[in-house]
Amino acid sequence: MTITEKTMIEFRDVHKYYGDYHALRGINGTIRAGEFFSLLGPSGCGKTTLLRTIAGFEDISSGVIMIDGKDMADVAPNARPTNMVFQSYAIFPHMSVAENVGFGLRRDPRSKADKARAVEEALDMVGLRGFGARAAHALSGGQRQRVALARALILKPKVLLLDEPLSALDKKMREHMQVELIKLQRQVGITFILVTHDQEEALVMSDRVAVMFEGEIAQLADPETLYRRPNSKQVADFIGTMNFIPVTVLSEAGDTVEIEAKGLGRVSLDASLAPPVRGESPVVGMRPETLTLLYDDQKAAERETEGVIDEVIYFGDMTYYDVYLGGTDVEVRLSMRNVPGRPVLEVGTKVRVAWSPSALVLFR
Amino acid sequence: MKKAPFLGGYAILYLLFLYGPIIILPLFAFNDGRIVAFPLNGFTTRWFTEMFADAQLKKALLNSLTIALSSATLATVLGVFAARATVRYRWPGKPAALGLIMVPLVLPEMIVAMALLVVLLSIGIPLSIFTIILGHVLICMPFAVAILTSAFQSLDRSLEEASLDLGETQWSTFRLIVLPLVMPGILSSFLITFTISIDEFIISNFLGSGQPILSVYIFGQFRFPAKVPSMLALGTLLVLFSICMLAIAEYFRRRGIAKTGGKDTGGFL
Repeated sequence: MTITEKTMIEFRDVHKYYGDYHALRGINGTIRAGEFFSLLGPSGCGKTTLLRTIAGFEDISSGVIMIDGKDMADVAPNARPTNMVFQSYAIFPHMSVAENVGFGLRRDPRSKADKARAVEEALDMVGLRGFGARAAHALSGGQRQRVALARALILKPKVLLLDEPLSALDKKMREHMQVELIKLQRQVGITFILVTHDQEEALVMSDRVAVMFEGEIAQLADPETLYRRPNSKQVADFIGTMNFIPVTVLSEAGDTVEIEAKGLGRVSLDASLAPPVRGESPVVGMRPETLTLLYDDQKAAERETEGVIDEVIYFGDMTYYDVYLGGTDVEVRLSMRNVPGRPVLEVGTKVRVAWSPSALVLFR
Repeated sequence: MKKAPFLGGYAILYLLFLYGPIIILPLFAFNDGRIVAFPLNGFTTRWFTEMFADAQLKKALLNSLTIALSSATLATVLGVFAARATVRYRWPGKPAALGLIMVPLVLPEMIVAMALLVVLLSIGIPLSIFTIILGHVLICMPFAVAILTSAFQSLDRSLEEASLDLGETQWSTFRLIVLPLVMPGILSSFLITFTISIDEFIISNFLGSGQPILSVYIFGQFRFPAKVPSMLALGTLLVLFSICMLAIAEYFRRRGIAKTGGKDTGGFL
């Protein structure tokens, strides 16, 4: 299923108060039909609250939530075209797997045999063919999650809501389920909305991500934009690793900004690519992989700066180096792929670092 | 681990002291002699025959069963409401209401019974089985609420949300998800309150208006030495009945645990 331009969910200035606590502070934005959308943020940022307002488990204090063109103000959870996979999976412990998966079909007028077939199909879809007769409590964590998925998808909702569904799984299982979920989403073509605090998970799985801080959406973009062009220091810091280097703005003419970056020297940047001005003390951000160590007689394609290695962190396939730039106290982290014939360098080694002005993001 | 042999001996003595007297019941219930004293005189079942022939006793038993079943049912149903309300919802005056429900637990029953008697008489409600049931519900409520609150607390809220999410209403969710999962708690509450009611003496005596009630009746019969053996026969049957009830409760508790995959924590409370 391809993502269309059709809007599935629309938020218009959504606010939510718990007593005095302002949990959602004016949420605006749209989620498109058929997209894999993530709500990403640290705990307490309001992402789960926002998800629960879509499901109808939380009322909103003001604003409008539209699902598929309909205002959800007076629509109860059981009448919304959404289904949810809960963080705890919420598998009914007193029922079998098949009874769990078929629970949503209780009010379906179809015959018993048709419903049983639908349950079998749903189980098949999540890779649990033949598990129907098992007791729900006898399942492993991964299997419970699949049951929760099948149970939510059997009603063919317009939107599937996933509340940190992978956080209870171990790392291997989590990575495996990430891929499975992506495949499943493509297969069924339903809009998926995932809540997660794991930025990697959000980047891997989503078509678009809304990064939330303190009840507000800080940035809503596709993963690549989010990673390469974060619109604030806060977003940049939350997603991946970003080096921040203090700068002085020298001059500004049209779209070109001249800056003096500590340890890097003078650089001119395209201001049209830079995030909006917030009045903070100016810094440039650069991702570790946009910096490269130069070996022997390699030449930098654009700019290079000298430095000294302060710390070496070996990851097997990668090595992270912390490097002091150009005789200053500015330290940056850079990552190098470990390939044959390229030795891991030692602390104290003098190195040349190649970088590109276009990879710099100016925050000010 | 350090060995402490005298602890084992102490435990055995303790258990003997607790349960030994109960063995006396069947022993003398089948003893052919009016006087409850050793040595035993031989086997007889006439005390049971005598007991079954006692019309007053039958009436007392029937009254007590009516009272206990009604009180246990009422206290458990009200307990379900109270537990649900305290666990799920926030409302003004909640701590005070809960405190008031729990007060009879620490109030001397004598005082409760006297106060009830005075109030009932002054507002002109005639004493009857119904007034005893009212009193019993009052003293049973703290136990029902305590047991049921813990049952409701162990229920994951997202189970209910999942059911709503899958198209069920509040009421059908309660019936399909909540009730089956708190059923062990409901059974426990019913059994405990039933037991409290059936051997309750003070309120039954104060609010009884001369209706024969089992506990009051047994107490009265003990004044006549000739009646003692048939009361022991009755006691024997009651012990048997209790053991059966416990076994049934334990069976359902274990089955519930096996079905939901919970962890066995021991007692059925």
